[in-house]
Amino acid sequence: MSAPNRLSAAEAIARLGSGALTAEALARACLERAQEREGVKAWIWLDPEQALTQARAADRAGRPGLLAGLPIGVKDIIDTLDMPTGHGSPIYRGNRPFADAAAVALLRIAGATIMGKTVTTEFANRFPGATVNPHNPAHTPGGSSSGSAASVADFQVPAALGTQTGGSVIRPASFCGVIGYKASFGEFSRSGIKLQCHNLDTLGILCRSLDDLPPLRAALVAGPPQQIDRTVSAPRIGICRTPAWERAEPATQALIDENAARLAAAGARVREVNFAAPFANILEHHRRIFNFEAARNYAYEYAEHNALVSQVLRDTVLTPGRELPLAAYVEAIETAEAFRRHIDDIFGEVDVLLTPSAAGEAPLGLGSTGDPSFNSIWTLAWTPCLTMPAGNGPKGLPLGIQLVGPRFGDEALFDAAAWVETRLAA
Amino acid sequence: MLNAEPHRLPATDVARLIEGGELSAEAVVRSCLERIREREPVVRAWTHLAAAAALEAALACDKGATHGVLRGVPFCVKDIFDTSDMPSGYGSPIYTGCRPSFDASAVALPRAAGAILLGKTVTTEFANRHPGPTSNPHNPSYTPGGSSSGSAASVADFMVPLALGTQTGGSVIRPAAYCGVVGFKPSFGLFPPAGMHVNTESLDTVGAMARSVDDIALFRAALMAIPYERPVMPERPPRLALCRTPHWDEAQPEGRAVLEAAAARLGAAGARIVDKELPADCADISELQRRHSAYEAPRNHAPELYRHAALLSDDLLGNGRIAAGRKLSLDDFRTDWRRAERARAAAQEWAGGFDAILTLPAPGQAPKGLASTGNAIFNGLWTMLHMPCLTLPAGAGPDGLPVGIQLVARRHDDRRLIDIGLWVERELGAWR
Repeated sequence: MSAPNRLSAAEAIARLGSGALTAEALARACLERAQEREGVKAWIWLDPEQALTQARAADRAGRPGLLAGLPIGVKDIIDTLDMPTGHGSPIYRGNRPFADAAAVALLRIAGATIMGKTVTTEFANRFPGATVNPHNPAHTPGGSSSGSAASVADFQVPAALGTQTGGSVIRPASFCGVIGYKASFGEFSRSGIKLQCHNLDTLGILCRSLDDLPPLRAALVAGPPQQIDRTVSAPRIGICRTPAWERAEPATQALIDENAARLAAAGARVREVNFAAPFANILEHHRRIFNFEAARNYAYEYAEHNALVSQVLRDTVLTPGRELPLAAYVEAIETAEAFRRHIDDIFGEVDVLLTPSAAGEAPLGLGSTGDPSFNSIWTLAWTPCLTMPAGNGPKGLPLGIQLVGPRFGDEALFDAAAWVETRLAA
Repeated sequence: MLNAEPHRLPATDVARLIEGGELSAEAVVRSCLERIREREPVVRAWTHLAAAAALEAALACDKGATHGVLRGVPFCVKDIFDTSDMPSGYGSPIYTGCRPSFDASAVALPRAAGAILLGKTVTTEFANRHPGPTSNPHNPSYTPGGSSSGSAASVADFMVPLALGTQTGGSVIRPAAYCGVVGFKPSFGLFPPAGMHVNTESLDTVGAMARSVDDIALFRAALMAIPYERPVMPERPPRLALCRTPHWDEAQPEGRAVLEAAAARLGAAGARIVDKELPADCADISELQRRHSAYEAPRNHAPELYRHAALLSDDLLGNGRIAAGRKLSLDDFRTDWRRAERARAAAQEWAGGFDAILTLPAPGQAPKGLASTGNAIFNGLWTMLHMPCLTLPAGAGPDGLPVGIQLVARRHDDRRLIDIGLWVERELGAWR
């Protein structure tokens, strides 16, 4: 048996449930790994005793719930009652929320151990934290859910929560070589999560196996888990290069084309899907909504702690957001709604879209967390999306492929992803 | 030259007089505080009054430390908003002692525009049903409505010219109507929601209360961080759709009478008024609103359910939205969401045929007693449709309490709705 910290969440849950593994032993193995690999700098708050206390309590109670004591990392823009929540900003150093975020409470209700808080960029925006890519510390792990992706990739915790306003779940997951999943907009509660953009912010999950997703998702929607159906027939796949295609590196473009060919060979009906002409500049509408809403949702920080807000956040988001005319924002909101209807129509003809997870491998350096263009489109579309590892790029770092499903088709997306995973592994 | 006590002045006058050096912020704040001291034992609108801090802010304002469109204007916020310097209790004993680390955006933006926060006002439990102690300032035996109870009562009672509320069902428009003030719920998402304790994410809307449409326009500019432009009196009387809604049989006689009289009066003033029913795709919109807020309740309230379920009221838990929400599945939620999108698209097209919809803000005058904040049946549909709503006092009920009318416009036509509100306000005149 592999070390407990290397088990996927689903494997760990099975062993916790059968008694083959205790929550304490699992938490201990994760903590040891985290300590040994401190250099990844994935955690902004990790108190071993706090994690072990929760794990022991789970063991004493017989490891109840869907998650049976499973340790989970929580991005540090998500409120926790018992751990500081710093939002990646010096403004909130030492901030102690009065309550858990709904998502954290739902995980606890399902029996999870909240292991600690993972590094986020400043306010889930651009300015990076200290985390490095566990595959090569000279490279960014991506962001904004940097610590969540890196800790899961590095076997420090089996699963973690992230959030996505642009590309903050899918991109770091792809850069770190793990599974990243952003739910359909509206399904996971955001109560107690630092709000950036009310029309965009979406909670997501980072983990290492597709089978991890159903129980974690079930906990977060307080519903019954729906296991992945591995008997589904070959999906109709749309290759969606998106208006950002030119930004994809050659290895990424080749990855999409090669995988599309392999899936077609395995029996999937594959066709090209393009957005209608009015949506050629859909990224501009995402940018407008992002800047306009963030400039207002960070009003307190902007007004009262301006000097502690990073210059990159002020210059690229808050100031342009203040300057954007209301009419331009409203136009973007209405275009986004039309875009969602357009995507609904596309899903009349395909079951799942295959598209890049990111422009390429994790870029060199820690100064930027990378380009979110291949993600912002789907955040705006409110569709569920999932990235899974698909080999390495020229620098030996992970590449991912992204699958996108129709709004509220999250379970079918998991089924299609399992089909794809099996065929690509063959 | 001042004819009124400062606490009775509208916000636009306060801002103008302070800017012109004819009035001090200190005098305004002192006048409001004096009014609160005098009337609070009966009205009970406040959960926290920051008298000393407000006076300090006023003195700083008078020394020229603050600028902006709301310079020196006092305001209050419903205790569902986070405040960095005041407790936030959300109307629940669970949050006794809660001190947030930041200001909600709807608090920070008026402050950045020069407004002075006097304190926090009573909300029902988590902006839901279970009432607080606030009474109706027109008659303390009657509810002020809710959930923004203290905000509506404090503005109506001349304690403060501007107040913030929130609406998930009818929590801005209904209390504003019951208390006889102007209430405005913008199009969904236009006022920033950061720092508002979540009730139902797909419905929660920050709203504003004042005693005039002009004041709403001023407050709105600050709340959206957009340049202030005075509202413009429409050159031509508007085309109004008189919409009795599918719930007309739940309206009280005085509600119906005031609406019909307002329609007649506005018609006589030149408005083109046509009777309109909601489009067929909106037939079950009120039911969708109830189901949506029920579905989200056990999820959004997971933190309270996990640790403090015994401190939740039966109005929310056993006999309320949490129990109702537990009976709804994710599939129900998804189906409802799709139906709501269809309804919104249909309503948007339908409402394009006129300038605004004229309808009821509440069944009638405020109900007697403080145990219930009244019926939101005339509000939930518009909240779910994400359309901007404006209520104005328009008449009196059998017990002398105010009765309002409500104007609703196409989503994102907020600016025009306010202009039309200006015309309607002028034509209807004082409500008593």
